[in-house]
Amino acid sequence: MTSSFRFLEDIALADSAFEARGNSPSELFTASATAVIETLADPRTVDPALTKTVTRHDPSLASLLFDWLSDIVYIKDAERMVFRDGDCVVSSNQADGDWHLEGRLTGAPIDPARHDLRADIKAITKHRYEVREDNGTWVATVVMDI
Amino acid sequence: MTVNRISDQIWEIPASEKPGMLVPARIYATEKILTSMDRGVFEQVTNVACLPGIRRYALCMPDGHWGYGFPIGGVAAFDRDTGVISPGGVGYDINCGMRLIRTDLTLADVAPRLELLMTELFRRVPAGVGSRGFVSVNRKDFAEVMRHGARWCVERGYGWHHDLERIEEQGCIPGADSSKVSDYAVERGIHQLGTLGSGNHYLEVQVAADDRIFDKPTAAALGITGRNQIVVMVHCGSRGFGHQVASDYLKVFEQAMRRHGISVKDQQLACAPFRSQEGQDYFAAMNCAANSAFANRQVITHQIREAFSTVFGQPAESLGMDIVYDVAHNIAKVERYPEGELVVHRKGSTRAFGPGRPELPEIYRETGQPVMCGGSMETGSYVLVGTDRAMRETFGSTMHGSGRTMSRAQAKRSVRGEQLQKQMAQRGIIVKAVSMSGLAEEAGFAYKNISDVVETVDTAGITRKVAELRPIGNIKG
Repeated sequence: MTSSFRFLEDIALADSAFEARGNSPSELFTASATAVIETLADPRTVDPALTKTVTRHDPSLASLLFDWLSDIVYIKDAERMVFRDGDCVVSSNQADGDWHLEGRLTGAPIDPARHDLRADIKAITKHRYEVREDNGTWVATVVMDI
Repeated sequence: MTVNRISDQIWEIPASEKPGMLVPARIYATEKILTSMDRGVFEQVTNVACLPGIRRYALCMPDGHWGYGFPIGGVAAFDRDTGVISPGGVGYDINCGMRLIRTDLTLADVAPRLELLMTELFRRVPAGVGSRGFVSVNRKDFAEVMRHGARWCVERGYGWHHDLERIEEQGCIPGADSSKVSDYAVERGIHQLGTLGSGNHYLEVQVAADDRIFDKPTAAALGITGRNQIVVMVHCGSRGFGHQVASDYLKVFEQAMRRHGISVKDQQLACAPFRSQEGQDYFAAMNCAANSAFANRQVITHQIREAFSTVFGQPAESLGMDIVYDVAHNIAKVERYPEGELVVHRKGSTRAFGPGRPELPEIYRETGQPVMCGGSMETGSYVLVGTDRAMRETFGSTMHGSGRTMSRAQAKRSVRGEQLQKQMAQRGIIVKAVSMSGLAEEAGFAYKNISDVVETVDTAGITRKVAELRPIGNIKG
């Protein structure tokens, strides 16, 4: 199985939620980032003109994913950017016991004339937030405040 | 869950219903509205009833629906000395609120130039994902915005001096401390002054028709004269700045709860004693965001006046473009009640102070505080006034809008944005939207009937309806 996500309708009436899956933490984080990116704008309309990198580490994989997705929301406002794609490598570090993230986002400064803009995300929330491993598949449930 | 009828508009869940409830929960709703409410409301309002220091009741208004931690439509008051403050009781969009601006223009004046007016408003008031405002501020200026709110704008020419008395707290809540907000929050919000955002935020041109004014003397005192008068309603908040303040402090409070030995039934109810360092820090940061939201709506007001002035070739002053009122519906405030000073949380509910309260400006001391409740962009909105009964029953609070009944995805499957825009134009409502999918998500059928909700609060006596306003033009993100 490759990484994937699907939007969930029955969790957040006024907002937006998704479930992401992957065979590894890296795939899960990439799929989750894609769900956030697709919520903001149609990535097919966004050129990969700029690249942003994100480096983080945390002893909790769930906290690391939460912060990675929150970083995308932050960059959207602070850098005024929408995204073409995002991927990342997540690994556990034996030395400090933390999970380490090397993330990369491509995209462009927001241009309403060129980009098919969708919904502005206010925040990634902890409502029903969950990251779990299920028979070798990593699964996350995420609700975004719109 | 046991829900007892107190009256035709008030329902009570007893404190015995859930372990840990300190007070009963009360929902203001007709039986029809109550039965259509999602289960989340009942779970969440009873969870709120468990929070330390809560007084009287955990309340939910008739537009209530599931939210993060607290329900939308929630009102809860906590003892200032022994109770808590919770970012989940305010919401991510701190001081999301409503502003209404009157004009001397009528539908007959505006109809021939409506398309031009909406185009000019759409050009001057940025909306949608990541939009950037026309006021350029540096970090020092932004700290001043946090401290002085709408006053900062008026002092720089983005408004009139008498605007301030028509804004809750004169558009400047004391106690804002910019040292309590993160760089992240500043960086998210510094370029967004004067922007609408997206989701359910909007700017709407509306008509006040004679037959939809229910209390002519009060309407007149508010500057609503009828005769197809044109008014403008704005719904938006503190944008990325406020969203980040909320996110930052939810994280802080998760840790603080452990230190203070507080456990909650939902992670999004994270809270801290109001008197604790964390509680005071959040209150100071939240007030920064609240003031930035007042400033945001003030800059938008300036742009609305400029747009009208351009299209009608007259200064805004001669078009009578006074603010009717501006009030928050996502906020926590310290207010005095018979029990003493309480930290009143309103999340998707509006302050509705009755006549005589010293917090109200002289012009509204007799009428009670104006309250604006936005419906869907296809139906109507309402102006109401606060009552003495609200002071006695709901900590001076009432509803804020109509509340969704359909998911965003389902709304998008039901109609395309372009199709909705065309249908609305055929009904005389011009819509300018940055995102067509965002427009479809906000279709009228995705919301409760606001008139049912307004009738509930009017009959319950916690606010009195004054006028219904019909949309003719809408700007959405």
